[in-house]
Amino acid sequence: MVNIALLSLLAAQAAAPDLGSQGQPFPTGGLDVGSLGGIPIGKLMLLPDIAVIVDGALGYTTLRSDQQAPSALVLPEHKVWPFLQEVEVAFQATVDPYVRGDVFLTFDANGVSVEEAYLTTLSLPAGLQVKAGEIYTPFGRTSQLHRHQWNFVDQPLSMQRLVGLDGLSGFGGDLAWLAPLPWFAELHLAYQAARPGLGGVQQLTGAARLVQYFDLADWATMGVGLSWSLFQASLPEQWKNLAGADLYVKLRDPASRSYVLLQGEVYGRQLGGQAFGDATWGGYGQVVWRIDRFWEIGARYDDAPAPVAYASGTQQTWTALGSYVPSEFFRIRLQPSLAVLPGGQSGFQGLANFEFTMGAHGAHPF
Amino acid sequence: MRTIALAVLSASLLAAVPSGARATVDAVTTTEGLAAVVREVGGDKVRVTALSRGVQDPHYVDPNPSLAVKLRNADLLVDIGLELEVGWLPPLVNQSRNAAIQPGGPRRLTAAGAVRVMDLPAGLVDRSQGDIHPMGNPHFLSDPRRVLQVAAAVAARLGEIDPADAAHFQERLASFRSRVEAAEKGWKAQLAPYAGRSVIAHHQTLTYLLDWAGLKAAAYLEPKPGIPPPPSHVAGLSGVVKAAGVKGVLVENYYDRRSAEQLRDLAGVKVFAIPGDVGGTREATDWISYQDALVKALVQAVQ
Repeated sequence: MVNIALLSLLAAQAAAPDLGSQGQPFPTGGLDVGSLGGIPIGKLMLLPDIAVIVDGALGYTTLRSDQQAPSALVLPEHKVWPFLQEVEVAFQATVDPYVRGDVFLTFDANGVSVEEAYLTTLSLPAGLQVKAGEIYTPFGRTSQLHRHQWNFVDQPLSMQRLVGLDGLSGFGGDLAWLAPLPWFAELHLAYQAARPGLGGVQQLTGAARLVQYFDLADWATMGVGLSWSLFQASLPEQWKNLAGADLYVKLRDPASRSYVLLQGEVYGRQLGGQAFGDATWGGYGQVVWRIDRFWEIGARYDDAPAPVAYASGTQQTWTALGSYVPSEFFRIRLQPSLAVLPGGQSGFQGLANFEFTMGAHGAHPF
Repeated sequence: MRTIALAVLSASLLAAVPSGARATVDAVTTTEGLAAVVREVGGDKVRVTALSRGVQDPHYVDPNPSLAVKLRNADLLVDIGLELEVGWLPPLVNQSRNAAIQPGGPRRLTAAGAVRVMDLPAGLVDRSQGDIHPMGNPHFLSDPRRVLQVAAAVAARLGEIDPADAAHFQERLASFRSRVEAAEKGWKAQLAPYAGRSVIAHHQTLTYLLDWAGLKAAAYLEPKPGIPPPPSHVAGLSGVVKAAGVKGVLVENYYDRRSAEQLRDLAGVKVFAIPGDVGGTREATDWISYQDALVKALVQAVQ
């Protein structure tokens, strides 16, 4: 991060500009305030905060590729496979007195993509705030998180197969209203060209989300959210309606670094060619225990539509997580999971991940 | 029903009666130490809310969206600065929709702007040095001299926000200053016999306190800022204890004390749990009692 205090200090220590043959600078007329030539490195102060976050992993699975897809991660069967998951580069700064800007670029094996690039208003009245640009749709909880904010190494399959492999995002705007209530209650209304589902085409999307947080005690906070997205579906296999409900509970003694997170979401999806009653449902529930400064463990149960190898049915996945966190900027995770497929078949997947962050200190996730 | 209606009406009328003691400024602070200072200066003209608790490590407060609600209508936000709150305050300020408390805003007072900052990094700065504060050490609220500077800045800003009560804030500042200066004489007298002695601290939280007290930190339990102490580092500190004649280790009560206790077992030092901030212990109810607790622990640690 550009260190303004340090730069100021350096600037104060910087030598006056070399005036060459001019010898002495212009007479100051008795004015001895200010700095000759200004601050030579002052431009650096206007650079945005820059951070680079790298995720890499080693994966192994006993599942065939058609037993894994659709999924954001399809591994070769019975091979210990090293791969780069993602390099995220973030640029964040205040643009002017009215808006701030956030840009997140993602580099992976498929090339470069814009994960998010948006402005956020800072001074709208009546509790309103607008995000505009390439943004995650305000739908659900985990689908809006960047990779380094996930507790687990991957996203739940129910989210991937019912919402979108990489969540739900697109270019557009999100109007958020913070209700004048004693607790946190925020209503989002969004309009975007989003790409729902399994990497298909963009569809015009309207979304609404109500999220509320309640402090149950000094050591307990509960968040509840309801989300709904409506898509313009011109083909029977395109997404038409998506509904979601999420629950989040954080238990933490304020005097301790240890905490317990409980989180669950349910999704319902109706395709363009489906009747409302034939919608497909799924969801997950997870618990994460930050034991101490270094260690974190977790478990997740996920119920998702079956992979492409099966005409119907569901897949249940049980996942365990163990994280070692030496510092705020580096962590190592091990994540074994067991998938139970339609017909009682099962398979194993194991992931070993490392993640590190360079540059600006980001906000802690909540 | 009629009784209830009368009661409601009476309560409404009472609420409508102007009161000379009513708070006119809603101030929110990031820590309880800052809240204590604002309370001293603002008195009954200011309603003060702290976002974190005195028992909490201020580096690791959760950015709980509920806290954004407290910021929504704040007339003044007082933060420490120097990136102490970088992990949690910026998202809360953005969520609050309160444009005036954005950094540099008219209702934002960053206390670090009022004091001379110590532990400025020299030379190259990177995270191989730990989770450093690249802008300098933000733990300055345990130094009476700097607390009075912060209090003066608070009084000035409150006076700008509420000009009608500006004189009131200056009077309270003068009162706080005289009480601190009186207490300081007693604290200095307790510390005087031990000038120049050393202690071991957990983190670089005591730089300003030790500078004011005329004492030194011989070493820190953390090998580098924010890096928990490995046993090898603790073992190495036993040599420092002997070389510097250290008798006590001071650990804020939000830190794990196991490393300090290992050092106690290895080198025979005493371990003292100290409040990390106002409200960090039951006795530390305001800034002077918090400082009193720190001085008592310091004296015991160097005896």
